[in-house]
Amino acid sequence: MARPAVETRALTKTFGVTPVLREVALRIDEGNCAMLIGGNGSGKSTLLRIIAGLSQPTYGDAIVFGENSRGLGLARRRIGMLTHQSWLYPNLTARENLEFYAELYGLPHREDLAMNWIDAVGLTASSNDRVREFSRGMEQRLSIARTMMTEPDLLLLDEPFAALDPGAVAIVGNLIRAAIARGCAALLTAHAPFDLDIEVARYQIANGRVMPLRDEPRAAPRSRMGA
Amino acid sequence: MAAFAAVLRKDLRVEIRSGQSTIALFALSLLIMVVLVFALSPQPADRARDGAAALWVALVFAGMLGATRSMIAENENGCIRALTLSPIDPAALYGAKLTAAFAFMAIVEVAAVVLITLFFNLDFGADLVRLAPSLMLGTLGFAALATLLAAISSRTRAGDLLLPILAIPLFIPAIIAGVKSSEAALSGFPLAAASQWLGILVAFDVLFVTVGALLFEHVIRED
Repeated sequence: MARPAVETRALTKTFGVTPVLREVALRIDEGNCAMLIGGNGSGKSTLLRIIAGLSQPTYGDAIVFGENSRGLGLARRRIGMLTHQSWLYPNLTARENLEFYAELYGLPHREDLAMNWIDAVGLTASSNDRVREFSRGMEQRLSIARTMMTEPDLLLLDEPFAALDPGAVAIVGNLIRAAIARGCAALLTAHAPFDLDIEVARYQIANGRVMPLRDEPRAAPRSRMGA
Repeated sequence: MAAFAAVLRKDLRVEIRSGQSTIALFALSLLIMVVLVFALSPQPADRARDGAAALWVALVFAGMLGATRSMIAENENGCIRALTLSPIDPAALYGAKLTAAFAFMAIVEVAAVVLITLFFNLDFGADLVRLAPSLMLGTLGFAALATLLAAISSRTRAGDLLLPILAIPLFIPAIIAGVKSSEAALSGFPLAAASQWLGILVAFDVLFVTVGALLFEHVIRED
């Protein structure tokens, strides 16, 4: 029986008196992928932040690899997260950014590792350029490399195809599929459903409630801008 | 320890590359010295007292600017969230940020001491060496406090205004001890004459570093 990577129980989050998430119950097993569809401000990013332990739920719990997200310990380093912010230092080069994160996670051969991931996302020619000089799409690609480089067991990807051109969409799609193939669980968010060429459990989030998405025609992932 | 070194090395690299904090801190110190030397027009008998006061005014304002810059860099692009999610111990992260802030302030202080010696017509010599303990202790305490408070203020809209409002009242006892011990050093008194004030600085250092290491995790975490 597959073990859950993430399980939320009656997860509720309010900002002031405004409820953003209402009793969300979601389970993603190891090696499985789930997609969360919702509009702007629907609570997608908030749910991802709570699962990562970056934000606290008002009520309920998110259990990540058996640990409560309110105080993640060892499970923290098993999470790879991509958000609307790139989490990259503008005054460091692409290579320096990845080497820094590799050192932070205690990864061996960090120079080679950083270059391998820069190659994997198609930024070889810009490896010594400062992130400040990158376009939004290039920064998103490097951010995906930062997320994947630690080989996380749980990927939390907030609109991973935002701002990407078709070539980059294909690269990122392949990286996500490869991660899931090695047993990683993934939770992706998007504004509209799209096809990732793998089995994906689709949910929609509206009025703070998460429910399975009814089947409808889907498009291939396209470049999208903004939240 | 490797993560501590990684964050410290990254902060130093970013600063050396941009030079923003150090240049701004030096310019601010120079401005403060110029204003104070003309405002006070120190007489020979008052030079040590006025020089010590000017030095600490420069230290406090430069320290606030330096700590704020360091935390703003972490909040840019949300990098502080990545550090929160990473395996680094929050106390080690605080230690790295504190060490970086201390290093930037120490560099500026060396320049400030040279400026103060020139502007206040003090002697280059043993008096300046005796100044080192109070300056180092004061810098450590203020860097510890400012790093913690900058982590709070950098997340708010009016953070630049909030930091001095929070930091200066908390640091006033240490400022008094620092000014008094610096005045004793610049007056040519032996180190033992300022031991009482240096003891107070040590106590504040222990307090601010301990509180900072304990609270930093809660300060950088979202609600």
